[in-house]
Amino acid sequence: MTRSLFLLAVAASAQNLPDVITQGEKVFSLTCATGYCHGVRGTAAAAPRLAGRGFDQTFINNTVRRGVAGTAMSGFAASLSPPDLIAVIAYVASLNGIANPSLAAGAAPAAPEVALSPDASRGRQLFSDAVRGFARCSTCHEVNGIGISVATPMAQIPASVPELRSLATPQVATANADGETMPALVLSKTSRSVILYDLTMPPPVMRTFEPPSVNLAEGSTWRHATVIGSYNDAELRSILIYLRDVAKP
Amino acid sequence: MRPLLFLLSLSAVYAQNGTADGATRADWPHYGGTQLSWRYSALNQINTANVKKLVPAWIFQTGDYADNLQATPIVVDGVMYLITPRAQVSALDAATGRLIWQYRYPPNQAGILRNSGVAVSAGKVFFGTRDNYLVALDQHTGREVWKTNVDDRKQCNCSISAAPLVVKDKVIVGGNGGDRAERGYLTAFYAKTGRLAWRWYVIPGPGEKGNETWKGDSWRFGGGSPWMTGSFDAGLNLVYWGTGNASADFYDADRVVAGADKARDANLYTASVVALDADTGKLRWHYQEVPDDNWDYDSAYEVILMDREIRGRMRNILVHMNKSGLTFVLDRTSGEFLGVFSVPEVRNWITGVTEDGKLVGRNEPKLGKTETFCPSVYGAKSWNSIAYSPRTGLLYMPTNELCNDATANDTKPVEGAGMMNAALSPKLPPNRATYSHVDAWDPVTGKRTWSYPYKYVLAASLLATAGDLVFTGDPEGNFFALDARSGDKLWSFQTGAGHRGSAISYSVNGRQYVATPTGWQGTIFGSVAAALFPDASFRMGSTLVAFALPE
Repeated sequence: MTRSLFLLAVAASAQNLPDVITQGEKVFSLTCATGYCHGVRGTAAAAPRLAGRGFDQTFINNTVRRGVAGTAMSGFAASLSPPDLIAVIAYVASLNGIANPSLAAGAAPAAPEVALSPDASRGRQLFSDAVRGFARCSTCHEVNGIGISVATPMAQIPASVPELRSLATPQVATANADGETMPALVLSKTSRSVILYDLTMPPPVMRTFEPPSVNLAEGSTWRHATVIGSYNDAELRSILIYLRDVAKP
Repeated sequence: MRPLLFLLSLSAVYAQNGTADGATRADWPHYGGTQLSWRYSALNQINTANVKKLVPAWIFQTGDYADNLQATPIVVDGVMYLITPRAQVSALDAATGRLIWQYRYPPNQAGILRNSGVAVSAGKVFFGTRDNYLVALDQHTGREVWKTNVDDRKQCNCSISAAPLVVKDKVIVGGNGGDRAERGYLTAFYAKTGRLAWRWYVIPGPGEKGNETWKGDSWRFGGGSPWMTGSFDAGLNLVYWGTGNASADFYDADRVVAGADKARDANLYTASVVALDADTGKLRWHYQEVPDDNWDYDSAYEVILMDREIRGRMRNILVHMNKSGLTFVLDRTSGEFLGVFSVPEVRNWITGVTEDGKLVGRNEPKLGKTETFCPSVYGAKSWNSIAYSPRTGLLYMPTNELCNDATANDTKPVEGAGMMNAALSPKLPPNRATYSHVDAWDPVTGKRTWSYPYKYVLAASLLATAGDLVFTGDPEGNFFALDARSGDKLWSFQTGAGHRGSAISYSVNGRQYVATPTGWQGTIFGSVAAALFPDASFRMGSTLVAFALPE
């Protein structure tokens, strides 16, 4: 944490301000001026104008880093390199008449990236591999900010591929509703409604039933092995290595 | 008097235009009116003779002012279903505006703020969300019945803003993301259970026909998302959809195979109209309108299905406008090309089109160089819809005359990240006093019959009725009616906020209504309009206004 702050300060002081702003304009042109966003030199295209708005340094810092909740403006703290982030903040400050932007101010460094082994990197890619459509782990599991949290967070990582395949899933029940039988992960059960994930096939469907129309029984025929069929053993091994790596305290 | 008029209108439909009937009557059951997407009502109580007497019957304020009201309302059995961009869904008595139920989706989602409508079928109300869920509500209570995740927003950065299309027992929905590094698709879910029925990827994978039109593994991030609503021909059992542009937008060197002929299919099936089997999602035919799109000219807009006599033969056709304003006429049974015409007056991206639909004189963006392209990425028309009247045989098309400067770059794809690959500045073309128009075009002859000019831009859908009226609204807040045969303005009402949604017509207990969302748009098209016309007043809001003749 302290170390990365120090690096930012070094990066900024190693260049003079005009160079930083020129670099910022380049980053802005490739990142912020594109598409349905802020336009060349922040003069407004499809997102709001940024030039001459009277923004102060803190506002620019926070907005560029964290984004604006509830809008299409995402935060860039994680996606831009620290020098580019500082440069683009300085550039937007220059568009708002701030002559001497404080280049390291408010620098809240992102969490240090965990260095993954090649196997674990491969595992991370496979975990949320879009080419597999719904037949990917992230259809039901959220790990490291990616995926849909249908399943509860993993309590322990299986030691081997056979263990992953034969994973017991006692939390999956059998629901009988409206004349259908389905494997179900029950989310809530009150006198007014039963809310469950229907696991008949991926992706899971969150369904709401009124209590008289649904019966729940413990256990099910659902097996983890059937929904991970798009991966071979080597791929599952990489995924396990990734999960063990990110699960490290 | 009235029954006679009605009979006359019916005979006109059948004499001129075959059997396909895309007219709505008491209800406005689908996004495009019917699933043939005419946006045409057969009601004629309100007509050219009495439209001057039209007055507001009721007004509904949604109370959700986050980026306004851009939807097409749906009316079924006297109940109107309306959705705001943050997915607040209201069921209203369509005769009085009384609120029957209201549902609110958790509001604090990221992503594009737009929702163009719900679909209503078989006791449920379906809609997509900014965080990529498809949701089904109980039509009578507004309670959630099911909800399923279509894609992980945290990974793809995509969202759903189009109204879903319900076809038989399935709900079909596309997603936003054509300008990002992702692989577009349509997904069908069973309406009853929410379970997956099929998914069709716009971009074929390795081993599939069409994959060879992509360089290396660029197919993985080639875009093409079908982000609007399709049409359905029940007789042919085909759904028709327009696909998005190829990614990256302004830079093709990483996605086009070396030596590819840009006059032929490239980067399939982006910027195309496709026909899919409604039951299986299998591709039946495709027609690529802009091979190797390099200007953000999506084909995502509405597909209008009709039967017309072409060169002496009655044909089942479809009419489709690409974002460039090129408007194609295809045989919808086979995909055979039948004709094309170009709608905007300002155009420099091509010099022309051959008689068989091939682009001539492509003005390709060059890496690192700033150039002006017309029409703009905001489209010769935006995603607001065309209307078609079978009585006049004319298409009513809102058209904008805008350009943009683009400086192409060669940024590499990062999954889910923007991939427009150009810095853009919108600009007005020189030497014009007006920058948009509503036009009447004959799809068979490709000729313009009349044109109604407007000073700024137009971004609301058109509505045609059997009263020979064409309705739409402008960003200054005027909602107005034109004579469908002459383009003369017959009536106008200041609704207080700009128009970005889609007007509809319906009747309850024999009284015809014309209803329009109002409220303009704060971002994207709205920001562009504000930047280009700084002295104009395009006011925002979120209100539905229903008009009728005095009782």
